[in-house]
Amino acid sequence: MVSPTIESVVLKDQIKRNDEPEHPLGNGGDQIIEAYSEEDISNVLAHANEHGKTVTVMSGGTKRGYGGTMKQADILLSLKGFQGIVAHSVGDLTLTVRPGTTLKAISDKLAENGQCLALDPSWPELATIGGVIAANESGPKRLLYGSARDHVIGTRIVYPDGRVIRTGGKVVKNVAGYDMNKLFIGAMGTLGVISEITLKLRPLPKYEGLSLVHFPDGREQEIHHVAKRLMDSMMEPVSLEVLTPATAEKLTGQRNYTLAIAWEDQEKAVTQQENWVAANLPAGIRHTCLHEQDAREWWDQLRHLGPNGYNDDVNEANTQAALKIGSKPSDVPSILTMAEEFAESHHVSVMAHGGAGHGISRVYVNGFPDDIIAYTKTLRSEVEKKHGYAVCTHLPFALREPANVWGEKPGYFSLLEGIKQTNDPKKILNRHRFVGGI
Amino acid sequence: MSDVVKCLNKLEIPYIARGAGTGLSGGATPLGGEVIISLVRMKRLLDLDLENRQAVVEPGFINLKLTQTISGKGYYYAPDPSSQNACTIGGNVAENSGGAHCLKYGVTTNHILGLEVVLSNGEIVEIGEHGVPDQPGYDLLGLLTGSEGTLGIVTKITVNLLKNPEGKKTVLAYFDDIDDASQAVSDIIAAGIIPAALEMMDDIAIEGVEAAAYPVGHPRDIAAFLLIEVDGIAAGIDDQIDDILTVCKKSHVREVKVAKDEAERSLWWANRKMGFGAMGAISPDYLVQDGVIPRTRLPEVLARINDISRKYDLRIANIFHAGDGNLHPLILFDASVPGESERASKAGSECLQVCADVGGSITGEHGVGIEKSAEMRFIFSDEEMAAQTDIRHVFNPDDLLNPGKLFPEPGRCVEVKHGEKKATV
Ligand SMILES: Cc1cc2nc3c(=O)[nH]c(=O)nc-3n(C[C@H](O)[C@H](O)[C@H](O)COP(=O)(O)OP(=O)(O)OC[C@H]3O[C@@H](n4cnc5c(N)ncnc54)[C@H](O)[C@@H]3O)c2cc1C
Repeated sequence: MVSPTIESVVLKDQIKRNDEPEHPLGNGGDQIIEAYSEEDISNVLAHANEHGKTVTVMSGGTKRGYGGTMKQADILLSLKGFQGIVAHSVGDLTLTVRPGTTLKAISDKLAENGQCLALDPSWPELATIGGVIAANESGPKRLLYGSARDHVIGTRIVYPDGRVIRTGGKVVKNVAGYDMNKLFIGAMGTLGVISEITLKLRPLPKYEGLSLVHFPDGREQEIHHVAKRLMDSMMEPVSLEVLTPATAEKLTGQRNYTLAIAWEDQEKAVTQQENWVAANLPAGIRHTCLHEQDAREWWDQLRHLGPNGYNDDVNEANTQAALKIGSKPSDVPSILTMAEEFAESHHVSVMAHGGAGHGISRVYVNGFPDDIIAYTKTLRSEVEKKHGYAVCTHLPFALREPANVWGEKPGYFSLLEGIKQTNDPKKILNRHRFVGGI
Repeated sequence: MSDVVKCLNKLEIPYIARGAGTGLSGGATPLGGEVIISLVRMKRLLDLDLENRQAVVEPGFINLKLTQTISGKGYYYAPDPSSQNACTIGGNVAENSGGAHCLKYGVTTNHILGLEVVLSNGEIVEIGEHGVPDQPGYDLLGLLTGSEGTLGIVTKITVNLLKNPEGKKTVLAYFDDIDDASQAVSDIIAAGIIPAALEMMDDIAIEGVEAAAYPVGHPRDIAAFLLIEVDGIAAGIDDQIDDILTVCKKSHVREVKVAKDEAERSLWWANRKMGFGAMGAISPDYLVQDGVIPRTRLPEVLARINDISRKYDLRIANIFHAGDGNLHPLILFDASVPGESERASKAGSECLQVCADVGGSITGEHGVGIEKSAEMRFIFSDEEMAAQTDIRHVFNPDDLLNPGKLFPEPGRCVEVKHGEKKATV
């Protein structure tokens, strides 16, 4: 398998033999190549493309369990070492960064100038910006700030044949040509390797508040009303995240359905909104408020639930899975109650939370492999009845085919195939990692 | 629609979708032999789901009408191009249109949840069904939005709606020096404020709007004004306004005032939104350009536009969305003077070259169309444009759908464009 010529395109010490071929999450490579530059990426891809070798792309590795029905490609291209900030234009609120930079490194650096990247996906100290963009990861605060597609303004992409193509630009508003940025966001690295990203930034919030609304047992159906009332008001919640009892217990110590409402604004405005919540809750429903550092720490805990590519248990009984469910925002509370109910009937334990304002829910499942598969199927079919979808964002390799990671192909699948064929005709990049086996 | 497209396909006749025809880059203009499919009669509101903040409209639905329909319930549709009382939401999707308030709220693409599209083979596909976010697959919604009608014909649109802000205040600041105004723009952003809108007009633009339908009585000897709007939770607004006033004073503002009531605020906005049309009051013809620059390069770029104005001996007014660096140089000319149209066209192109030179873009919201296809070369290499036309080929393999737009055709030179982009009032 080892090509005689790969050594000619990168330095010897960038090439490692894979001594862990049986990684439980798959998505490995016979050879591991560390890229430290765009040129490295381009050389490796051009070489692989020419010799018909398959390439798996990985940065932080937090999404190693996300899709992929090929245990091992010929090459595992690691971008972990290709990190750092290329340019931070403080006055323009833009940042250009290399793909292997972790979200935490980005936030720390930006905070020095009172700015932030308003994306809050899980495991920020492990997850890299390249991976977050490629997997279109997001967190509860996308309600107000949007998701990756709303923050990325430009990229540099290395195509499978080694070409480097710029998409978008470095300015916050731009409609020149097709919005090619969008093609690579959430494409799971199947269309090209992101070698540089330019992002739109925001000023750090002046003040942060968090209203936690606790719903006593039997009153969970009122979550929907409270969320609806809030969304119909002029308040401006940054998140409207519903937590199932097990999730809430872990974060608040109280085993109740809980609504976590973030506020980020001038202090007076935060206070006004907290007061609005207090004044508008149904009788008998309590709420608590956290501020500044306490609020930030609370969110930080939420970002550390679930699998991260490194915390899988060797014990089969503790197999981990994660689901991303998309639905109409108004269906989130009922989907979470279903997630909770089916856990019991399928003998798995579940932690789940979802955005009642934006429609994305996360379900973390723990149990025996067969139970996880059955649970996933049941939940997915119920979600689909509500016009939603369920995607498995983390599963051990062996479960991916039986669970059908992406669900059924969309009606316009031929367009997706056509795009893949255009960018990567030899299908060398992250083969079988994406929707419909792309 | 599907039947029409299938039929045209069979006959190999090229075709163009057309909304209200307000596009400023010639996207809906035929180059020869195309059938024009007008969508203005497809103008129904198909669904309104306020609980999920969604509306489904047909492509011919007029932008402003959507906000008018839902404003009674306290909601609005955020993208607000100055042409919003005429342009269609289908056209907005095709151009990925912006507006004065997109600094805080984003442009069209940030508000599109779903599209029904008739592909070039007549097939009807639904992307983002029921407005559910992040559906598995490549982001076709993002790709189609802004594709200027070259990838498919949009026949249904699911948009995201916003709730009206609780509080809103508008500031007008007059400056004697345009550099001071530019500095104030940067300093407002640096103060951690994201205004809902942050607009600027220079002296020639002011001369125009004061001669048009909605004069405000701006002093005529100032170099520029800023129109700044802050919205959000009422309790937080005054502090932001105080910060803005402080910034303006530090930048040697001559006079700065807060709109005293809705009537005054509306007048200021009407005056601003008349901007392009107002040029008709001071010039027989004008050409609207649309470049984007990093906000911090504003003073330098304005100076270079001034040089271009002198070089071509044509007056250039500047109206722009300063907050996001989106410039609209308006080149004033008289088409009846031989050679002046060509000069205006060249001056416009040179303005875009300046934007490209400082790391910007050749269009922020008006699109490429026919007008700027040659200028695509200012910012993209041939290889990069080929990567885009390769994608077009997936959707539009025979190039029957709005052919000849967006990308420079090999051998097509800049000079041929004259006369095509004249906008007259
Ligand atoms: C005075 C004035 C002010 C303006 N201000 C702004 C502004 O502030 N911000 C801004 O962004 N723009 C502005 N514009 C430009 C213009 O109004 C926008 O580009 C608008 O979105 C065009 O909409 P339309 O319905 O007129 O589209 P048209 O001009 O009819 O068509 C534009 C393009 O869209 C395509 N198209 C139209 N409908 C469809 C469809 N259903 N499916 C596929 N393709 C379609 C056409 O083929 C064409 O390429 C302004 C224009 C004027 C005249």
